[in-house]
Amino acid sequence: MSTRTPGRVDKAGLVIALFLLVLAGLIWQDLSGLQLSSVYGLGPKAMPMVVSIGLAILAVGNAVIALQGGLPKRERLDWKPIVLILGGLVALIACIKFDVGFIPATAILFAATSAAFGRRAFITDLLIGFVAGTVIFLLFSKLLTLSLPMGPLERLI
Amino acid sequence: MSQYRKNFWRGAFAAAAVAGFVTSAMAQSELKIMAPAAPGGGWDQTARSMQQALTQSGIVKSVQVTNVPGAGGSIGIAQFVNGAKGDGSQLMVMGYVMVGALLTNKSPVTLDQTTPIARLTGEYEAIVVPAGSPIKTAKDLAAAVKADPAKVTWAGGSAGGVDHIAAALFAKAVGADPTKINYIPFSGGGESLAAILGGKVTAGIAGYGEFESQIKAGKLRLIGLTTPKGTPEMPSLKEQGVDLEIANWRAVVAAPGLSADQKKTLSETVDKLAKSKEWGEILKQKGWDDAYLSGDAFAKFLVEENTRTKEVLTSVGLVKP
Amino acid sequence: MDAFIALANGLTVALQPMNLLFALVGVLLGTAVGVLPGIGPALTVALLLPITFKLDPGGSIIMFAGIYYGGMYGGSTTAILINTPGESASMATALEGNKMAKAGRGGPALATSAIGSFVAGTIATLGLAFLAPTLVELAVKFGPEDYFALMCVAFITVSATFGDSPVRGLTSLFIGLALGLVGIDKLTGQARLTFGVPELLDGVEVTTLAVGLFAVGEALYVASRRHIEEEVLEPVRGSLWMTKEDWKRSWKPWLRGTLFGFPIGALPAGGAEIPTFLSYSTEKRLTKYPKEFGHGAIEGVAGPEAANNASAAGTLVPLLALGLPTSATAAMMLAGFQQYGLNPGPLLFAERPELVWGLIASLFIANTMLLILNLPLVGLWVKLLAIPQPWLYAGILVFATMGTIAAKPSIVELAMLGAFGGLGFLMRRFDYPIAPVVVGLILGPIAEAQLRRALSISLGDPMVLLQSPISATLLGVALIALILPFVLKGMSRFKAAED
Repeated sequence: MSTRTPGRVDKAGLVIALFLLVLAGLIWQDLSGLQLSSVYGLGPKAMPMVVSIGLAILAVGNAVIALQGGLPKRERLDWKPIVLILGGLVALIACIKFDVGFIPATAILFAATSAAFGRRAFITDLLIGFVAGTVIFLLFSKLLTLSLPMGPLERLI
Repeated sequence: MSQYRKNFWRGAFAAAAVAGFVTSAMAQSELKIMAPAAPGGGWDQTARSMQQALTQSGIVKSVQVTNVPGAGGSIGIAQFVNGAKGDGSQLMVMGYVMVGALLTNKSPVTLDQTTPIARLTGEYEAIVVPAGSPIKTAKDLAAAVKADPAKVTWAGGSAGGVDHIAAALFAKAVGADPTKINYIPFSGGGESLAAILGGKVTAGIAGYGEFESQIKAGKLRLIGLTTPKGTPEMPSLKEQGVDLEIANWRAVVAAPGLSADQKKTLSETVDKLAKSKEWGEILKQKGWDDAYLSGDAFAKFLVEENTRTKEVLTSVGLVKP
Repeated sequence: MDAFIALANGLTVALQPMNLLFALVGVLLGTAVGVLPGIGPALTVALLLPITFKLDPGGSIIMFAGIYYGGMYGGSTTAILINTPGESASMATALEGNKMAKAGRGGPALATSAIGSFVAGTIATLGLAFLAPTLVELAVKFGPEDYFALMCVAFITVSATFGDSPVRGLTSLFIGLALGLVGIDKLTGQARLTFGVPELLDGVEVTTLAVGLFAVGEALYVASRRHIEEEVLEPVRGSLWMTKEDWKRSWKPWLRGTLFGFPIGALPAGGAEIPTFLSYSTEKRLTKYPKEFGHGAIEGVAGPEAANNASAAGTLVPLLALGLPTSATAAMMLAGFQQYGLNPGPLLFAERPELVWGLIASLFIANTMLLILNLPLVGLWVKLLAIPQPWLYAGILVFATMGTIAAKPSIVELAMLGAFGGLGFLMRRFDYPIAPVVVGLILGPIAEAQLRRALSISLGDPMVLLQSPISATLLGVALIALILPFVLKGMSRFKAAED
């Protein structure tokens, strides 16, 4: 936690500056691995160079602001809802990766997000998500003939 | 319009038909076709047209099309080779673009890992110049490229794609240095066409269909087609002394690890498709040329195209030897 | 006035009951898919092609036109209501539109967007009917160097989305530019910043980034702050409809948006995003209520929405006049024409005038239908905001992931959506502006490719940028746009000192 009081170092701001510097380095490292160049005009390295240098300069700029304590005031963070939502997304990805199917994946994401916003009826929300997922699946596979990820359940439909 | 093209492909067609003709009572009831591209593109349209013709003609009861887009098909083929191994009910649409894409993307999966089934369609490349250009024939263009390849700018599709390869082959055929060609890749057909019409580049290269209406309207001048034999209005490059033959073809391949029986069944299904009335109608409607080639002839063709493409891409510098 | 007679004939074609029905089906389908992120009109037309080839050419092409226009309307609805731009062209709309919706002004936001789209669509369609041949002559004169100059103008105007700190704004922009580097380099075919992940070869999808930053990021941010302040959404505060004041503030942005959208849309590589950003920044500069920008200014919705729809009509200029497909949807419509053996271009106007003018006339009809359809829906749409907050955000997340899965069913894409969501959250927390990231991703690659094309054609001579009159003019405009704010600031300070 920090406030806008000048002179106080904002650690988060320094982390951001470091992140930008790492990103700049990553781009520079990647561009030095490019083997081919254009025969005429500018090569593929020019733009990454501009971006990399720009990011490095901005890293300095952000660091200066952080050292002056210039970042806006922030409140205490409640991590629980964030973990719930991102967890729901991870569960969705896992469901698709391991062929559990689109409908259960959607149901889990719906229920997890809803819980993150303070609802305590997980089973009801799971059911709502399930119905929504089924409707979406039918809409896509039957009407638009687009193939959504399939699991045992989707194959039955 | 495409009489000469039909004739060319027909020769290949007849040879293949004889070679691939086998009778079997086994029929396919279910088929999955993967289009290694987003819905709407050429490969997707081929897959969906196959689906339409196969089910309408009753050759296969149910056909499902899946899309796995990305990187010129590199992602689709990786998934296909790993996921469909030994499955005799899956096909993947592919084409010449994939040959080049796999090479330039250094894909760990190669076409050798698939089971070739058949080539279905093909389209020749056309070289055009703006109507007001001093270049009138392939000879003029050849002379210009030979004099200074840097000053002849080519507009075409993506780097390493069929247009790029054709431009490099042109330089090679006329005795210029293919590494020195000034090829400018554009994102979409419309963008490169606009650059040619606006006189921003010397010449344009793409499938004939993309230029057809502009040539007819007199806004572009056709320099030559990459066919072996043309017509008086539509001369081939070869007839004008530039030894360049290339076509943008589309084909289907099956998964690796198939038994001889599985391969035979799939080949027969595709064979029936290629000869069906429904497929013929689709070809006409979409303006695709029949380029059916199956069996060992197609397998050999695939290997040859792969070798030639690798050579060209290496000579242009897009693939490191 | 041949064109008028032809247009009248076209109207008789388009007003046939069957064709009206096709247009209605088209606009309904278009609105439905426009609402879904990741699924645009191009995909819909592609999927419908096999079904429609049995219909008569006139009818199905009219239906495609309906889908095209409908998609543009649908995309803005989700942008305003749930901060989920259905396509990149609706991003600018989301900036102010969603703020308006959260403040209970969703009704006027949707209304100004619908009416603005109608006004812009109608004017631009008139332009298509009467100016197409002239405009297209100019459009093909645009070379790579001219596009690069246009990008320079666009880059300067991006600063309008920067918020109050230039360093933070530029940081956002450069993160976007870095993301734009990912993928195969268009000119040499090499992979950049893909780290051996093949799914990254095609680059970062704009809709994935926009939906991740806007929708997922917002959900995370709001959820994390629930213990501090409960977000209260009031579907309607004040009038559901546009007030007199709203009209007064909207009509000029509509017209200016059209002026940006139509000509830039008609350029073969113009696109719909650039005019929407140009319009947004112009409105921000010209507005009498600069304090409202960033908190829901109606001008910031009216202008970009008009620009968006006008550019959609502009795209049809090169398609009909030359047969140049300059957007994915236009390419699909071209395929639609071709399956009937028709080739758009100068010959089609001469050979099948009833078809071309029927299409143009049906664009007017589709536009009118969309207005009639959308205005009564405004009341219904804003009720969406009355859904209990947990369900509303759960629905938004399901919606966002579904669009991604349908467009690109890959785990890498979903992981990126999640990562961009996290980025969006952090940027909100540390007060970095979001829009410049998306702008950087859109503009960076185009600017790079066009500059490199120009220099390849000129064999490396940078003077080509000044030798082309179009490019030189645009660069001049960019320079003025860069300097003018400082000059104005200096002058106002000078004045203040005098007072």
